[in-house]
Amino acid sequence: MAVAATLSQRKRVKRKAPRGFLRRVFKRRKPHLHLGTRCDLLVHLNCLLFIRRLAEESRTDACKNKCGIIKDQHVLAAAKVMLKKSRG
Amino acid sequence: MADSDLSDNEPTTRTLLRHVLDTEAPRTPRRRQSTRAGVQRALPESPFSMRLRSQTKTTPRRQSHRARSIGRLAPHIQSKGQLKEQTPRTLLENILLTAPESSMVMPESVVKPVPAPQVVQLSSRESSPGSLDLQLPELNPPTAMAPSLLTSGKRKKRLRLSEFQQGMDQGLPLSQEPVMEPPANTGASSLTSSLNLTFATPLLPQSVQRPGLARRPPPRRAVDVDIFLQDLQDTSVATALPGDRTPVATLPTDTVLEDTQPFSQPLIGRSPSVHHSLPHPSLSAERTVSRRTRSSGPGLQNNSPEKPAQLLAGKAEKVDALAMGFPNTSNGTSAEDELKPLLDRDGEEVEEIMEETRPELASSAPDIPQARQLEFLEPAPSTSTAGLSAEPLPARLPTRVRTAGPRLRQDPYKMGLSHYAKLFSFYAKMPMEKKALEMVEKCLDKYFQRLCDDLDVFAAHAGRKTVRLEDLELLMRRQGLVTDRVSLHVLVEQHLPLEYRQLLIPCAFSGNAVFPAQ
Repeated sequence: MAVAATLSQRKRVKRKAPRGFLRRVFKRRKPHLHLGTRCDLLVHLNCLLFIRRLAEESRTDACKNKCGIIKDQHVLAAAKVMLKKSRG
Repeated sequence: MADSDLSDNEPTTRTLLRHVLDTEAPRTPRRRQSTRAGVQRALPESPFSMRLRSQTKTTPRRQSHRARSIGRLAPHIQSKGQLKEQTPRTLLENILLTAPESSMVMPESVVKPVPAPQVVQLSSRESSPGSLDLQLPELNPPTAMAPSLLTSGKRKKRLRLSEFQQGMDQGLPLSQEPVMEPPANTGASSLTSSLNLTFATPLLPQSVQRPGLARRPPPRRAVDVDIFLQDLQDTSVATALPGDRTPVATLPTDTVLEDTQPFSQPLIGRSPSVHHSLPHPSLSAERTVSRRTRSSGPGLQNNSPEKPAQLLAGKAEKVDALAMGFPNTSNGTSAEDELKPLLDRDGEEVEEIMEETRPELASSAPDIPQARQLEFLEPAPSTSTAGLSAEPLPARLPTRVRTAGPRLRQDPYKMGLSHYAKLFSFYAKMPMEKKALEMVEKCLDKYFQRLCDDLDVFAAHAGRKTVRLEDLELLMRRQGLVTDRVSLHVLVEQHLPLEYRQLLIPCAFSGNAVFPAQ
């Protein structure tokens, strides 16, 4: 249909989601569970948002310390905060 | 003016030219007719004549002008009216146009090739400014004669030689029949052949002068071919022996017997994989050569000064170490990666030692079976794990012999994480340390764990065994990403590419259809 037509026109997707990777990771962790057809896309979205927040947090941490470079301690501190936030 | 000039007896250029023109007036009727008949005929004639005088760059305007001028000359010479208006240049040109008819009487064979080289030679002169044209025509006729003569001479010489050759060639088969004339003809043939040779020789030095163009195969290929052949022979011998325990005794002895060269030793152990690696024989052979030289060199150097007793002792130690190492490798731990290089190096040394200490083999009976087992177990894991590996080099084996499981676990997982780490560096918009990226990967790992656990809980809560979109939406809501203000669709539209958006967000299409179907 229309979707197929659009897909055939542009076959190169920017920022592809590693769907296979995500499925494999989920399968290894939870072999008894099945992942839905489009759930891995949402998982990818989730990861993107998480990383985005993490990056912003670490950036503010680095700017706080007046560092021009993001160091691992900034990332660590930011990750602590983020993982707490995204507990679910 | 013309009348006045004519009346004057002063030898001005103009008078001279006029005089010439007057004397050549009778010729003009030819042109007159031609011009009257058609200027076109004059045009091809004039360019040809002009070319003789190396005036090829004359524009058609000029040609037509000249034709017209010639045409005008014809009637006007008699009237001598418009000549006065013409400049000396045009007069000279007219002279040049009319004069060469005499030279055209010469044999055309000479004339025809002459204009060609002349055109080539003197075309450059044509580019000179018009002011020089006056002087050029004067120079050209005398100079034209010399090169024409030279070229004709060369042509004649070449013709003569070619004709001579042809004549001789024709004369050769005829002369060969009578036996009486062989010497003369052989001399002639030798002459011709020598002539031919002389003609051919100038070509050769050109190729010799440019050695860079000569395509010589690299000399080392010969060695590789030999090694390859040896490998083939070894593989044929090895494959003939099935992989059973019983002919183990024959295997090492054969390998030992065939170990005439240090380079081919290790390949025997990996013979089945070599057999598979036929498409890359040269590469593997080269690399084996390089590797073997490195390994065998120091190995041999180390072994040679040692005494045989020490060698045996060392071999026993190595064998024990390897025997120890093997059960570890059979378990398939990650330590095998470290052991494998040791194994390979020791294997080579063991083989070398075995080759060197053949007479001592009988004494070191207990060592041999262990060595055999070593050698046998070496190809076994390599075949089982490497299988159809393209490059069965022992230095390469550690990279190939790793069991499939751990490698796939690590590398693609790391690759996937690094994929997200790159996005992190993009979102951060700041330079980052590599340690920070590693930290990001660790955090991602933890995050994935948590994600999977949460999804498991949600699916179990809903009494399902499949994770669905609702579970994910709930997760994002709990995380605080999806709120009453910001819905999931908004996030999808913001962060995902179009293709995924279309897959996730139901959209109504024509025909009362909704995709994706809910």
